Amino acid sequence: MEMLKTSSGNIAVLQLKGRFDAHEVVPVGAWLQEQVDAGRVQIIINLEAVNFIDSTALSSLVRGLKHCREKGGELRLCCLQQPVRVIFELTRLDKAFTIHATQPEAVDALQ
Amino acid sequence: MPYENYEKWKTVPLEQTPHLSIVIPAYNEQERIVATIGAIASHVSDLGFPWELLIADDGSKDATVQTVEELGLANLKVLKTPKNGGKGRAVQRGMLAAEGDYILFADADNSTPIEEVSKLLAKLETDGFDVAVGSRAAEGAEEGKKSLLRHILSGGLRMIVKYGLRIGVRDTQCGFKMYTRDVAKKLHSKQTIMGFSFDLEILFLASKFGYKVAEVPVAWVDAPGSKVDTRKEVQRFLRDLWKIQMNNLSGVYR
Repeated sequence: MEMLKTSSGNIAVLQLKGRFDAHEVVPVGAWLQEQVDAGRVQIIINLEAVNFIDSTALSSLVRGLKHCREKGGELRLCCLQQPVRVIFELTRLDKAFTIHATQPEAVDALQ
Repeated sequence: MPYENYEKWKTVPLEQTPHLSIVIPAYNEQERIVATIGAIASHVSDLGFPWELLIADDGSKDATVQTVEELGLANLKVLKTPKNGGKGRAVQRGMLAAEGDYILFADADNSTPIEEVSKLLAKLETDGFDVAVGSRAAEGAEEGKKSLLRHILSGGLRMIVKYGLRIGVRDTQCGFKMYTRDVAKKLHSKQTIMGFSFDLEILFLASKFGYKVAEVPVAWVDAPGSKVDTRKEVQRFLRDLWKIQMNNLSGVYR
């Protein structure tokens, strides 16, 4: 999986590409922790190029969301492909996260 | 349109024979199976034909059955059993219960991405094969995150299978295989091996009965959380290879 790290103002943005599973949780978790430790707690994860996400990866996102909120921030998701959207629905995590259709929409919501 | 296709599959029970059945054997898969179901349901619903999904539980001790049933998907059936009988037994129950014109068995961890299904289906629908075997050994296959131990073992076992059972398929163990309905019923009704090497027996039978078998290169990821104890499974594999030879000589497969 590829990770593209960018920012938009004070918002940290991570774009993922490929299969997001337990093999990839460590680098994503480390990046999330790095942001929270640095006080960058407005975070967007763009899943446009992710075609599968497993339960371990979902758990890592939930942990990231929790850590952000504990520090008064927010973690938003955007651009879910249909298979990933369905996985979020079936696991009911679509209720836990705010999911935006586009990255600009997510940025606007956090600014 | 695509999401509507999934929504229809999710809510409206089929009234006709499914074109495709997908069988997933499951043992203690409460953590992994929902994501796999989601990926499969999303992709296959878009292929434009009626299809069903069967989860063949193998006596799970965790909440696999409850987790799957609570999804409330109209065209998903859960096959339950109180007793753990082995992966081969779970696949056999699924294959014999499936109603589709074509029947795919796929692993619960989505280790061969479901997007590969169309390659196998084309072999049966268009090219006239009876069995299409997803293969990590065929030219063009992509293997991701496979351990060195699994590389060495799979190479050695391939040689044994090739010369011991004279099975032409190079990758007998990939959990992604499709059959026409009649062939699936015939092969799995003759199945005697219920552990992980049941595939070997099924492919031996396919060859023995003269079915046309295609080996199709597929992508494959060594999904984390595998429940396979490699050392034990190699021992069982060799024992089962011997059992197949003995069954054949003693007329069990007639």
